Amino acid sequence: MTRLKTSLWAVCLFLGTAVSAEEKLLYLYNWSEYMPEQVLEQFEKETGIRVVYSTYDSNEAMYAKLRLLDKKNSYDLVVPSTYYVSKMRREGLLAKIDKSRLKNFANLDAKLLNQPFDPDNSYSVPYLWGSTGIAVNTDKVEAGTVSKWRDLWNPAFKDRLLLTNDMREVFHMGLRVLGYSGNDTDPAHIEAAYHELKKLVPNVRAYNSEAPRMPYLEGETDAGMIWNGEAYMAKDENPAIDYVYPEEGVILWLDSLIIPTTARNVDHAYQFIDFILRPEIGALISEEIGYASPNRAAVDTLDEAVRNNRTVYPTAEDLENSEFQIDVGEAITVYEKFWERLKTAGD
Amino acid sequence: MPMLNWLKHAYLWFVYLLLYLPIGVLVFYSFNASKNPYRWGGFSWHWYERLWQNSSLLEAAMNSLLLAVSAATLSTLIGPLTAVALHRYRFRGKRFLNSMLFVVMMSPDIVLAISLLALFILIGVQLGYVSLLLAHVTFCLPFVVVTVYARLSGFNPQILEAARDLGAGDLRALVTVVLPIIFPAVLAGWLLGFTLSLDDVVVSMFVTGPTFEILPLRIYSMVRLGIKPEVNALATVLLLLSLATLIGSQFILTRKGERKT
Amino acid sequence: MKLRKPFKTVVLVLIWGWILLFVLAPNLLVVMTSFLTRDDAHFIRWQATLENYLRLFDPDYLAVFGHSFYMALVTTLLCLLVGYPFAYLLSRLRAGVKPYLLFLVIVPFWTNSLVRTYAMKLLIATNGLVNQTLLGLGWIDTPLRLLYTETAVIVGLFYVLLPFMILPLYAIFEQLRPELLEASGDLGAGTWQTFRRVVLPLTMPGIIAGCLLVLLPAVGMFYVGDVLGGAKNLLIGNVIKNQFLDARDWPFGAAISLLLTLAMAMLLYAYYLSVRLIRRPHAHAELA
Repeated sequence: MTRLKTSLWAVCLFLGTAVSAEEKLLYLYNWSEYMPEQVLEQFEKETGIRVVYSTYDSNEAMYAKLRLLDKKNSYDLVVPSTYYVSKMRREGLLAKIDKSRLKNFANLDAKLLNQPFDPDNSYSVPYLWGSTGIAVNTDKVEAGTVSKWRDLWNPAFKDRLLLTNDMREVFHMGLRVLGYSGNDTDPAHIEAAYHELKKLVPNVRAYNSEAPRMPYLEGETDAGMIWNGEAYMAKDENPAIDYVYPEEGVILWLDSLIIPTTARNVDHAYQFIDFILRPEIGALISEEIGYASPNRAAVDTLDEAVRNNRTVYPTAEDLENSEFQIDVGEAITVYEKFWERLKTAGD
Repeated sequence: MPMLNWLKHAYLWFVYLLLYLPIGVLVFYSFNASKNPYRWGGFSWHWYERLWQNSSLLEAAMNSLLLAVSAATLSTLIGPLTAVALHRYRFRGKRFLNSMLFVVMMSPDIVLAISLLALFILIGVQLGYVSLLLAHVTFCLPFVVVTVYARLSGFNPQILEAARDLGAGDLRALVTVVLPIIFPAVLAGWLLGFTLSLDDVVVSMFVTGPTFEILPLRIYSMVRLGIKPEVNALATVLLLLSLATLIGSQFILTRKGERKT
Repeated sequence: MKLRKPFKTVVLVLIWGWILLFVLAPNLLVVMTSFLTRDDAHFIRWQATLENYLRLFDPDYLAVFGHSFYMALVTTLLCLLVGYPFAYLLSRLRAGVKPYLLFLVIVPFWTNSLVRTYAMKLLIATNGLVNQTLLGLGWIDTPLRLLYTETAVIVGLFYVLLPFMILPLYAIFEQLRPELLEASGDLGAGTWQTFRRVVLPLTMPGIIAGCLLVLLPAVGMFYVGDVLGGAKNLLIGNVIKNQFLDARDWPFGAAISLLLTLAMAMLLYAYYLSVRLIRRPHAHAELA
């Protein structure tokens, strides 16, 4: 009898996981820590579509994964950065966006639309924009002593720094420190940046793009690079953690929602994008995770405290010398070569 | 000499402590009411509630269990057959087969992972449950074969001859005579396969796809993120489950033994 | 008599099929890929080159490989030092208790090695249990920087792989008849001598099996390097993983992987030689 019961139970276990074939699904592939759970839950409640959520910590990892998956198996929505949107657009990986299906599209700030990386936004819908700057734990490092990228090279920071695990951002910093543009395509300049960054390596304790705020909060690193949203969340838990806009210029980026050509639930994808474009949802996202919303209607309804928070919405002064990340075309392979060498030269 | 005895026991305890301390810490903190795990905030079931509500984490855990069960079962279908064939039959390339099994057993996970990924991409196998199952069976198989083969080696072939003399065909002889004798080894092989599959991180991370989320992948970003108390709760649950299964299987084995006598 | 041939054929086809498809073919693919060129969009381009192998000799990469092997060797040594006496003591216990205690060694596996690595992080983090205890006891003033160091990776590897050392050693100790030890004592050998000339040679296959089962995974377990190692303690597995999942340089990753396989083959050959030496008592006497 007991053996029959156990086998029945086992069968139920098997069946239980197979039942999900009937559900309405949306496969969303996003940066980690980039979407409040609340938003997904609310979406599911309203539409009955369950979001299957996977995360990545770099554009490169996202791109490699997408290349591995074929038509029957891919994601429906992905959130690449600007330069990967251009890359993927050139390679024919993106489905055209039918704006007539997005009634909330008009909410977006016109200043962020129709950019060179995607003229007329035929393939992408801006999701969040933000900056990568310097984080300083003022409990461990005197406030005001770190105001430039260059300050991180100080030998006093040996084994105390965090860098984001992002090739373009780390090299952007290396290039700026030498006075070049962060979007430089000259291989000689990129190599020079590599040599400069190599000198920084002894100071680097860890690379982290999963949740860069964690090593600061855990006391493992005292200063280094961080994304503004992460800094915003970190300050919430530990007020000693400051976000600094470096003098050489902060790094600006924009991440957009795209639908791969291999997407299976395109309908659900459009519903989700439209949902995100609602002012109250855009505001919620910005308030929860601290990145700037490209949604003008959302920004208008924001909590005062967040709207005036310099970490989330920088002033013009903060943005002096800043540069938006743009596509570097073929030069990306030069970057990749030196990034690989930089990370291996860790010892 | 009692001093030496005490030392021996102390050493055993010491090593067990080493093995279980980190897990013990996990279990301990799974009941911690405070979110900051380094500060004890009182006893609480809170994280277990959160775990129960975290459907994606639970689903990943269920998927891993499902995968482990199917991989172990499939290996124990093919494995004993392989062991019997290696033991009973003479055929060309036997040594080659042996060495192939050995290669799989000794290959570092990562080599296995990339080679299988390359294969799946080439022949167009969808990355998901199927690719994972094939990969897991591949690395469980040699261990099952070795376990069953060892048991077969100590087994008197004359019993099989006797069965054959009495008119049983190959299949019948296998099922009624060989199987009961090798059953403990088969069960051990199943448990071994189950263990290896559940424990695997490397192979799983390479050959999986978005439709079949398994535990290592789901918690990979979580554990790098920092402390996620739901993971502590999940680990505790898995631990209890495994203890229960092991006790259960031991129970089955002793019952079978008793029935024989 | 009638069932014999078809049954045998089915079984052999099944086994050969599986081995050829999932063992031989993938490995051949890897060998082939290591001689091809990288392609940005489709992973490989059908253009033969030896460049990937030449890259292996880049001092940066050699340094990583060396360091990784070093960490793996230390891990193996630690596992051996801790596991050997443990396996011996375990095998000498009462027969009724042994299976349960052995199970207890295996049980941690069922919580997945990633979870166990993360548990290790809980212990050695700056705010972790070890530091909290030491600070509380007043033995240190500022927290020790244990995480993201070479030590952290070694300890993590040791913790995850210790059972792999214990199991084969236990198996070989089970076969070691206590009468041999008694006989040795009777013939006048002291404990150390008995150990060196009887126990050690007889348990050598178990030692080598255990070392292989620890050393080979140790260089490949990239998740331990990721969670506990920080920026600077890359394992060979990390480098390979980066090539396949980040840098998209499959040919180079394949070349590294082949290097690893060759190293494994050499170690296995050493194992094979040692086992043969044990089995030939005459040869052994000649060596002594």
